[in-house]
Parts: sequence; C-alpha cells; structure tokens
Amino acid sequence: MLKVKNVSRGFSSGETKVKAVNNVSFEVERGQFASIIGKSGSGKSTLLAILGALDKPTTGSIEVDGQDITKLGSSDLTRYRCQKIGFVFQGYNLIPNLSAIENVMLPMEFGHLASSKRRGRAADLLNQVGLSADKHVRRPSRLSGGEQQRVAIARALANQPKLILADEPTGNLDSQTGKMIFELLHSLARSEKTTIIAVTHDLSIAGKTDLTFKLQDGKLA
Amino acid sequence: MGAFIRGIRNTFRNGIRTFSIIVILGLSIGLAMTMYLARVAVQDKINSVQGSIGNIVNISPAGARGSDGGGEPLTTDEINKVKALAHISSVTSTLTDRLASTDTNLQSAIDAGTLGQRQGQFNQRSFGGNSSNRSNTQANFTPPIQVIGSTDLNTLQSFGGGAINLTSGDKFDATSTDTVAIIGKGLADKNSLSVGSTFQAYGKALTVKGIFDSGNTFSNNLIVLPLATLQTLSSQSGQLSTAIATVDSINNLDSAVAAMKTTLGTAADVVSQQDTSSQALAPLENIKKISLLSLIGAAAAAAVIILLTMLMIVRERRREIGVLKAIGASNFSVIFQFMSEAITFTIIGAVVGLGLGIASSNSVINVLVNNASSAATPTGGGQGGGAAGQFLRFVGQSGSSLRNIHAVIGYQVIFYGLLAAILIAIIGSAFPAWLIAQVRPSEVMRAD
Repeated sequence: MLKVKNVSRGFSSGETKVKAVNNVSFEVERGQFASIIGKSGSGKSTLLAILGALDKPTTGSIEVDGQDITKLGSSDLTRYRCQKIGFVFQGYNLIPNLSAIENVMLPMEFGHLASSKRRGRAADLLNQVGLSADKHVRRPSRLSGGEQQRVAIARALANQPKLILADEPTGNLDSQTGKMIFELLHSLARSEKTTIIAVTHDLSIAGKTDLTFKLQDGKLA
Repeated sequence: MGAFIRGIRNTFRNGIRTFSIIVILGLSIGLAMTMYLARVAVQDKINSVQGSIGNIVNISPAGARGSDGGGEPLTTDEINKVKALAHISSVTSTLTDRLASTDTNLQSAIDAGTLGQRQGQFNQRSFGGNSSNRSNTQANFTPPIQVIGSTDLNTLQSFGGGAINLTSGDKFDATSTDTVAIIGKGLADKNSLSVGSTFQAYGKALTVKGIFDSGNTFSNNLIVLPLATLQTLSSQSGQLSTAIATVDSINNLDSAVAAMKTTLGTAADVVSQQDTSSQALAPLENIKKISLLSLIGAAAAAAVIILLTMLMIVRERRREIGVLKAIGASNFSVIFQFMSEAITFTIIGAVVGLGLGIASSNSVINVLVNNASSAATPTGGGQGGGAAGQFLRFVGQSGSSLRNIHAVIGYQVIFYGLLAAILIAIIGSAFPAWLIAQVRPSEVMRAD
C-alpha cells in the first residue's frame, strides 16, 4: 500500500546543509499499524510530513496505492491530502471557533461530500470514537484533551482515507487517556482497514504496533 | 457550512477586536461617504447653477444700470434683431420705471430713512436744486415705488428682486396689455390692498391680480405689470430697460455674445455671466477638490485598516491555515474564507459608516460650504460687490441660497457604498491573501 524508496529531505541552515531524512526506505501494507520512533530531531516529523504530502522530499519516491505522490502537482497534492490522508496531531489542531461536529465536517466540505450527508456522517464518526452526542456541539475549549483527540481522529477519518498519519497522538495526554486513544487507533486500523503510521516517543505504544521503524539522525536504524 | 459562512463567523471570534476594527473602519468609511455625498451635492449645485444661468446674456443700455447712469434706452427693434440671431433661444424684455407720489395713490412701504434722504438730497443737487446745502430740503422725501414691466414673469427674479412667490392671487399674462398688476407684500400691507383691489397709477386704475413675497423688503415694494401695459402707461412705447437673452448651448455662448455686440454696437452693454459665474462657483470647485482628496484618503485609510487587520489575523492564524491545508483545503478555499472575513468586516464597517455619513453629511457640507464661500463673499456692496456679488444678484440668489446645498442619499448611494466597501476589502486583503497562499501545510507540523 505504501512504498517509501530512498527518500531524503535536506535543509540549508546558513552554509550548513542538514539531511533531516536520509535515504529512508520501507513498506507498509494496507490495514497495518506502524510506528516511527526516535529521539527529538531524528527526522520523524519531517518524514511524516513527507508521507502526508505536506512537504516534498529532496530525492526518492513515495508510492501510495501505486501512485508516486512526489510527482504530483500542487492541486493534485491538495486532492491527495483531502481524499487519501488523515492527520492526527499532538496538539489536536482543531479549529477553535467550530464545534466538534463542525470540525469533523470540514474535510468532507473540502472533499465535496454533499452538504446534506456531512452532519450525519460526522455524528456517526464522533459516536464511533466514543464522543457522546451532547458533546458534538461543544467547541474544543469545552472538551478535555482526550475528547479533543477523539474529535481529531474522527476528523482524520472523515473522508475514509487510506492512510492515517499521527504525530505524537498521545503526547499531550495522560497515560490512561493516551492508552485509550492508542487502542482506538488500533481498532480503527482493524475495522476500517486503514493504514496507520504514528510517530511516538512512547516505546510501550510502539511495541504494540504491527511495525516499528526507528529513526536515528534521519536514517532508519 | 462553507468557507464563506466560516469567514463570516470568524469575524466575530474576538468581540473586542471586532468592535474596535468596525468602529475604526466605520469612521473611515463614514468620512469617505460624507466626502462622496459632499462632492455629489456640490457638483449637482454647480450643474444646476451653470445649467440655469451659464448660457444667459444680460443686455442693458450702455452707461445705465437700473435707475442710475444715463444714455438711451434699448428699443424693441434692437431686441427683435437680437432675437433673430443664430443660437438665441429666447429673449426676455423688461422696462423699469418709478412712481413718484404724484403718479399714484399708493404709499411706498419703505421709509426714506437716512439713506433715502441722502438720495433725495443728491437728486435735488444734481437735477436743479441748491448744490451748496447738503443737509437742506427734501425732509419729506419718499422713496419712489419701483414698477417693472416684463414679458416673462418666470425670469423676474433676474431683475433685482427675489423670486416671485405668490402668496395670494394669480400671475397675469405677461404678453397682454391688461391693466393688471401683481404687487409686493409690503406694498399691499402698507396700502391695505388684496387680490381684486384697485389702485391708481399713471392716471389709470390697475387691478391687483396677485400678491407676492420675495423675501426682501425692497422687492416687496415692487409693482409688476405686463411689459406692454407699462410701456403704454408710462409713455415709453418701444423702450426697454434691460433684456436677457438665452443662448441655446453654452458652447455657442461666445459666438452669440459676439454677434449681439456687433448687432447692438455701442448702444448696449452685452455681458455674459460665464466669467462671473465661474468666480462665484470657485469656492464650490474648491470643495469638490477637497472632498475628492478626502474621499480618496479615507478610502485608502479604510483599505490600509483592513490590510493591517487581515495581516494581523493571518499571522495569528498561520497554524490554523496550515491545518486547513493539511486536511485538504485548497489555497482558493482558504483565501476565500479570509476574504469573506475581510468583506464582512468592511460591510459592517460600511453600514456603520453609511449611518455616520448620512447623519453627518449635511452638517459637514454646510461647514465646508460656509467656510469656503465666506472667503468669496462680496464685500463691495451697492451696485458693485465684486464678481461674486454681481453673479448672486444676477441669478437672483442670495449667498445663503448658493450655500444651501443638501446631500441626497438614495439607494444608489447605498449600493455604491457597499460595492466600494467590498472593493476596499478585496484590495485590503490582496496582500494577506498572497501571504496565505505562501503558508505551507507543513507549518502545522512545525507548530507542534
């Protein structure tokens, strides 16, 4: 499903050139839950951004369902992010003045789902991630961290993506809530046949995923 | 909920900031609106004045003005030649005369006072009295009653009085030879005359057809007759005091004036009012310039306000823009959302501004007009008074009439005001939109 071949990403910092990701190659099958671990600055988030078409690699190719996303133009990349990728961020990154259900409806709007179907589907997804109906209309500021992350996961699932990329999804949560969120992601990977790649510091979580990649100085260790 | 609605909702994300921005925007747009209304009102006034008198030519006997001066009166034959000239669309003829106390049973409504006594003494010294004694005789001098004969009552305001506004009765047929008159209110009150009353003049009984109030004491002491009637009664057949020729187009004014001067020769003074009107209208032209500059300045200020506001908002929500792009929003969608926010700001500001503009426009216009025109107010008095004074007398308008300018606020103004607000929003958010396009979706990862 996902084939990463010889991907590198370099940055210039003054006269110094830094390779945040250095010649990384791996494959993940559909429905697998993979984790990427590594120390801060090892290139985990950069690799995740490249996989999610938020950034472009300097060299290498990334195939998702046989399509090389490194060769896509700007508008195709937008469509790719909208239809095939779901993001879950450490800081949730919900839109603060929209309610939980409106946050989940956002990607559906960008994916041109008929407006009449958006609210029902968003409610289903929120129910699926365990957010009670009375909280669907609450704004993020009136939800706990765990609830906000559930909303973020529901938002990531909005367009039934092939791939969910999670950047430290439990990083801002207490261990109990983090464990629940991890279990939720894991169950989704199984039930929805969605491939999930999560960047994490938490080795106990990484140990429970189908695959684990360790990054060290931009390289797979 | 689309990007447009999201943009509108975002406008109210921060209540205090939204209120502040709308107040500032409202003031700017209100100033722009006021200046626009002032400009339109002043332009309308200029057009109105130029349209009504710009193509008028005043013809008077050479060397005479009103009852003063000397020379020979104009004749009907001369004016008929003028009427026959190219581009002359109409000519209104007038004869003026004065009734002494021996010519009528009416009493003047104006007391002689100091000014009248001086005039009486001057007349006595100049026309056969004792020139050595300035304070002598004429103690019982009574100002004469002015009589005007005209072929067109509608243009009577052009001959020294105010407009003929009938307070009772009717106008007469100015081309007739009937022994009828309309008289000023002062004269009617002084002599207890009403519509249908008769009075004696030139040894004939004249019937009061109407009574007018011109708004000034001198004009309210006038008697107005049909021209032919006055010519006959005063034994001045074929004689005229003044005439006003109307040229068909302002573009033909110069050539028509030249033709009239050639036709009348040195017997008449032919004066176009174009130059004097331009001088009198100069203050209004200045207001037009000031209002245009202020309008541009205020509109630019509004655009800068919205630009800075949107820059601030875009910088503040850089991460949110990254999130939107990361979850599939196109550049267009995000820019559209922020533009709708900018447009909402400016439309609300425009509504506030329109309210302020409508409420304050007439006051501001009055201040502008009074300040600007006070510099051009005639100071000479009497028969002189400078070009502006001549002009004002010519058109029969007082200075206050020329200053009497009101803004007209119609749906069109509101429509264009809102349209301008949208334009300001688009201009003001163009650079922020470019910034939005530059935000990479990977910003969201960096922000974490």
